[in-house]
Amino acid sequence: MGIEFENVNYKYDKRNAKYAIKNIDLKIDSLNEFICLVGHTGSGKSTLIQHMNGLILANSGIVKVSGSDVKKTRNINSVRRKVGMVFQFPEYQLFEETVEKDIIFGPTNFGVSKKEAILKAKEVAKLVGLEQTILEKSPFNLSGGEMRRVAIAGVLAMEPDILILDEPTVGLDPKGQREMMELFKKIHQTTKKTIIVVTHDMDVVSEYSTRVIVMKEAEKKFDGLARDLFLDQKLLEELNLKKPTYIKIAEKINKKLNRNYQIGCLSLAELIKEIVKGE
Amino acid sequence: MEIIKVENMSFSYSKEEIFKDFNIVINKGEWITILGHNGSGKSTLTKVMIGLLKKETGIIKINGIELTEENVYDVRKNIGIVFQNPDNQFVGSTVKDDLAFGLENLCLAHDEIEMRIEKYLTKVNMLEYKDKEPHNLSGGEKQRVAIAAVLSMEPEIIILDEATSMLDPKGKEEVIEVIKNLSENNTVITITHNLSEAILSDRVIVLNKGKIVLDGKPLAVFKETEKILSAGLDLLPSMKIANKLAELNYQDEELKGILWELNSKM
Amino acid sequence: MNVIVGRYINRNSWVHRLDPRMKILSLIILMIGTFMTSTLINMLWILAGVFLLILTSKISLLNFIKSLVPLLFLMTFTFVFQVLFNKQGPIISTLTLNLSFITILLNVVVIIGYQILKRFRIRGFFWFLLTFAFIIYLYTLNLGTPFKIINLNLYRDGLTFGLFLLVRIIILVSASSLLTLTTKPADLNNGLERLMKPLKVLKVPVDEMSMMISIALRFIPTLLDEVNKIMKAQASRGVDFASGNIKKKVVQIVSLLVPMFVISFKRADDLSNAMEARGYFPGMERSKFGILKFRFSDYLTILFSISFLVGIVYFDL
Repeated sequence: MGIEFENVNYKYDKRNAKYAIKNIDLKIDSLNEFICLVGHTGSGKSTLIQHMNGLILANSGIVKVSGSDVKKTRNINSVRRKVGMVFQFPEYQLFEETVEKDIIFGPTNFGVSKKEAILKAKEVAKLVGLEQTILEKSPFNLSGGEMRRVAIAGVLAMEPDILILDEPTVGLDPKGQREMMELFKKIHQTTKKTIIVVTHDMDVVSEYSTRVIVMKEAEKKFDGLARDLFLDQKLLEELNLKKPTYIKIAEKINKKLNRNYQIGCLSLAELIKEIVKGE
Repeated sequence: MEIIKVENMSFSYSKEEIFKDFNIVINKGEWITILGHNGSGKSTLTKVMIGLLKKETGIIKINGIELTEENVYDVRKNIGIVFQNPDNQFVGSTVKDDLAFGLENLCLAHDEIEMRIEKYLTKVNMLEYKDKEPHNLSGGEKQRVAIAAVLSMEPEIIILDEATSMLDPKGKEEVIEVIKNLSENNTVITITHNLSEAILSDRVIVLNKGKIVLDGKPLAVFKETEKILSAGLDLLPSMKIANKLAELNYQDEELKGILWELNSKM
Repeated sequence: MNVIVGRYINRNSWVHRLDPRMKILSLIILMIGTFMTSTLINMLWILAGVFLLILTSKISLLNFIKSLVPLLFLMTFTFVFQVLFNKQGPIISTLTLNLSFITILLNVVVIIGYQILKRFRIRGFFWFLLTFAFIIYLYTLNLGTPFKIINLNLYRDGLTFGLFLLVRIIILVSASSLLTLTTKPADLNNGLERLMKPLKVLKVPVDEMSMMISIALRFIPTLLDEVNKIMKAQASRGVDFASGNIKKKVVQIVSLLVPMFVISFKRADDLSNAMEARGYFPGMERSKFGILKFRFSDYLTILFSISFLVGIVYFDL
């Protein structure tokens, strides 16, 4: 069923002419999508994802989650449970005495029994790569990367249909960033759940996404495949976006050595294949 | 001429040993990049160097003067630090006031303060934001103010401790542009975990578990792919390509020759 | 957000341009003045003066009325108390209340009606007053056979003194509002620091206090932002901040407070590092950039304020 937007508009200040999001039409399936949401600071990305979770209600237009209108639904928690949201620096939302208690906080709020939630906590802790012994520790004694995993586990434990992550790799070192993205890829592959990642990193977009949505000045400017976006020079300039590393490198090699590599290489593997093939 | 000299320094955070008999010499006018993953001790090192954290043993000399508990405030005047979080180092209620804060600490007269504010805000291209309040600025703008604030105190050494890691790509570019200009006339120490930010510097140091594992010109350091990987860092794209091609036993001298140039722009 | 960060409204008026020290001093003088005034007429004159200041400050009267709203209860209570219990001076008029079964019955009907209307969100202080007045009015009517008659006397002094206190509260509140509405919090803090400077002799840490206030003011918007973010994060984990029983409320508050503590400490730690790295340590000698200079209008104001005080003392004797 997923998420549907029909002509959604929102302004933070109704007297002001400035839209936060404008005329948004969008359909997101709850299965098999890995969406990267891209756009400069202030382009409306964050407002958009908050609509998916009922944290912001549209001024006009309809937002449907699993077929039911978010504005008309009596129990907003039924929406919030279906769409799991991980904010920027999620480690700051931890507050319980132990990791386990923090992970079961979400599920128990949504009416899951404590016993079931604890079982679930063990499962998601394993999924995000935390050791079982950590469950009894205080979340405040963990490293930054571990805390972030605990916070993500807490959202996963709610068993949402769709997982939204707002810049999940900010503040991590390159190794941590890669591990984090690989984690989402793994979750996506094992559960088939749709994942939406807000990011500024074009390399993440090119390597992981099955679909890219670009926001600019409150409007949706692109919705499609990464390859189509990155090969459209004019569009990239208009949206003020950079190309991913390996496309840039392929172009440079072509220019410097006068070669004819295909420039649509979205990852290292693709570029290597292209180079080796050319022999 | 050496401007910072750390000799046999040891330091621990509540029992956990971070540095043991650590040595480093930094020369005047150098742009040096300290690389390391989160938790490698790179931020701790700077804090120890300016006495924000107290070393256990060893000697730290700044500009030839040994750092002691008595002279820490004076010696610190030679060093300015820009920290990671743009919000948490903005002291004043406006851009102008933020610069004034440091200058007041130096006990400068009003006219001198006024002059320096103008001069250094111009340097980071923020003069027209003089009367703006922090919550009306973007992350990149706040970070440029932080740099101006540090510069205005006219220290000999400027440390940028992951100053770009919390910024969006636009903010990053703005700040890196400013750093490039700085390095022409100052001793600059940048701390980062991104190899691509180290390419332009004069010297690179790779830190792992409180020890220097690599030290040298960027080109030379980046050849040591194994050591870089084991220090928890990510390789540059060109290095990854070279490695993969080597694995496949693919020979292409022409391509190999230009790989380094492919990284040129950060 | 505006409530806490000071309610400064940016306009270009002479009141805005005055030196903050002058404004603070004048406010203090005005306060002393209102306490030295003893007649209603003089008090009304002062009110007229404050009103004139407000008009020339280019700030809408609405802002001042807003600042009086929270004190509505106190003002009404003071006034009613005086009218009912101050029994000095000649009687102006008498209110005869007839207690009969019919009036009591009607009274009950009115109260029930009021409670029912309240459910439909028709409430508020003015409704309450209106209902109250209506009930009193019921008792003045001669309905049915009264079993008891009460005579309520209205004394002149009760009325004037009630009004007198009322006007005093209005003057104090609107004059302080005028100060905060026309002065930036940072300037206010700066002015206070300068005025308190003599206290340094008594080892009062004036500089540090003022530094604390200015940092607090600087971080309030940042922390409010943070509260908002944490609330949203917890809301998406199923916390409903709008409702819940006491047990749930406790959990809600804890889920907000613990993260806020962690964040605030982290920020404080970072900030203290940044401040120290820029050469600050508490108690140090510092120069001052924001120089406050008295101008002609400032001298005129302080002269006026002092002569006002002298005038009050003179006329009131």
